[in-house]
Amino acid sequence: MPQLLNGNEAAAHAARLARVEVLASYPITPAAPVMEKITQFITEGSLKANFVRVESDHSALAAALGASMAGARSFLITNSQGLAYMSEVLYHVSGLRQPVVMAVVNRALAAPHSRFPEHGDAIAQETAGWIQFFCENNQEVLDSLLQAFRLGEDERVRLPVMVNYEGYIQSHTREVVDLPDQKVVDSFLPLVRRPVLDVENPLAVNTVASPAVYMDYKFHQDEALKRAGEVAREINAIYAGLTGRDWGGPVSGYRLEGAEIVLVTMGSLVSTARVAVDALRSAGEKAGLLKVRLFRPFPLTEIRATLKTVKAVVALDKNIVFSSGGALAREIRAGLYGHAAVPVYSYILGLGGRDVDVEDLMAIYRQVRDQRQAGAVPAPYQWYGL
Amino acid sequence: MAAKELPVVPSARPGTMAAGAAMEKIREQRPVIDQGKCDLCRLCLFYCPDAALTLNQGQVTVNLHFCKGCGICAVECPVRAITMVPEYPSDRGFLEK
Repeated sequence: MPQLLNGNEAAAHAARLARVEVLASYPITPAAPVMEKITQFITEGSLKANFVRVESDHSALAAALGASMAGARSFLITNSQGLAYMSEVLYHVSGLRQPVVMAVVNRALAAPHSRFPEHGDAIAQETAGWIQFFCENNQEVLDSLLQAFRLGEDERVRLPVMVNYEGYIQSHTREVVDLPDQKVVDSFLPLVRRPVLDVENPLAVNTVASPAVYMDYKFHQDEALKRAGEVAREINAIYAGLTGRDWGGPVSGYRLEGAEIVLVTMGSLVSTARVAVDALRSAGEKAGLLKVRLFRPFPLTEIRATLKTVKAVVALDKNIVFSSGGALAREIRAGLYGHAAVPVYSYILGLGGRDVDVEDLMAIYRQVRDQRQAGAVPAPYQWYGL
Repeated sequence: MAAKELPVVPSARPGTMAAGAAMEKIREQRPVIDQGKCDLCRLCLFYCPDAALTLNQGQVTVNLHFCKGCGICAVECPVRAITMVPEYPSDRGFLEK
C-alpha cells in the first residue's frame, strides 16, 4: 500500500514487517525517530518486540549481539558519533557471524560537530566486516532492510548488515513508499534461528584464539563476505518477483549504452546524477551512470565488467579518507588495475551537508570532459564546491 | 595450503581454548583445597575472576570447567589452604625453572 513516508518511517515499517524481536538502541540525531516509531508500533500492538533501554550505542550493539546469539532477530539504528562509539562491538558481531541488521542514517563526524549528511561515518567502518548497502530513496531503504535480514541470515553468509541512508535528505524527507503486505514479507522472510547460547549446555563464546587458528577464522569470514554479493543479487531477484521492485545487483547502470564518461556514486546522489545524466544526454553528451548499491562486499567483478571499456570514470565521493581521497574512487581504481587503463577522476563533495545539485554534477562532467580532451592525467583527487 | 575447518561461531567448551578441532587446554595448573585448613572465609569466591569456586554443602569446591588456573585464589587465601598443582607431567617442561 503506497504511503507518504520519510526514510526513518520507512526503516521503522521495515522493522515491523520483518517482525524484529529485539530493538536495542540509543537515541541520536537524525536516526532517533526510527526508534520512536518502532516503540509506537510496540505500544499499539502492531509489533511484538522487546525494546532494550541502554546507556550508550556501544551497549546497544552489545545487547543486540547478545539477543542475536540467543536466536532473536535483532535490529538497531545509529549514525555518526554513535556508529564510531560502536566500532569495537561491530568487529565482535561480524567475527561472531551474527546477522544483526542496523539502519545507519549517515551524518558527518565531529570535529567540528555537524548534524548534516555525508558518508564518512559508514566509510570509517569499511573494515569492520559488515555488509554495507547504500540507498538512493526511501523505497529502497524499506526494500533493502527487508532484503538485509534475509541476506544476513542466509546460511552461506551469516553476517551483520548495515543499511545506509542519508540524514535529512532521506531521513526527514517524505516520498511515496509502497509497503508490501505482511503475508508477502512473511513468505520472503521466514525467521532463521541459530541460537548459540544454551543454558543447558554452557559454552565459552568469543574465547581466545591462538595464532594456530585466528587467521583461519578471518579467512572464513572474508570468504563469507565475498559470497554475500552473489547472494544479495539472488535475494533481490526473489524480492523483485514478489513485489515488482528490482534494485539490480550490487551495482546497477543507467544509460550506459554508448556512454563514454560514466559517473559512479552511491546514496542520494544517485538520484541527482540520473537527472544530470538525462540533461547531459539531451545536450548530446555521451554520459552514463553507475550506482554502487553494495559498498561491502565491494563489487569488483561488476565494476570491471561495466567500466573497462569506457573512456573515463568520475567517482563522486561524499567522504574523505584523509590524504588518500574518496573511498569509492580508491576501490574503483583498485578494481580496474591490471584490467583496463581507464582514467578515474575523483571528486570529494557534499561533506557535512553541503548541497550538491544537478548543475554541480553537470559542471563536474564538463570539467572531466575538458581535462580528458586536454590529455591531463587525473589528479589523485580534487575537492569540489569549496 | 587450505584453511582449517572451524566452527562458524568462534566458541569453545568451558575451560578450553577456541582452537577448533584441537580444543587445546589452556590451564597449566589447578587449585587443590585442603578442607582441613579452609575456614570458609569465602575470599577465594570473591577474588576468582571466573566464579569457578563455589560453596557447596559447607565446603569450597572448584568447578574445573571454568578454572583457567590463574592461581589468584591461592595467593589470596589467608590460611594457605589452596595449593596450585601442575596439570602436565614435569617432563613437558611447562612449569620448569
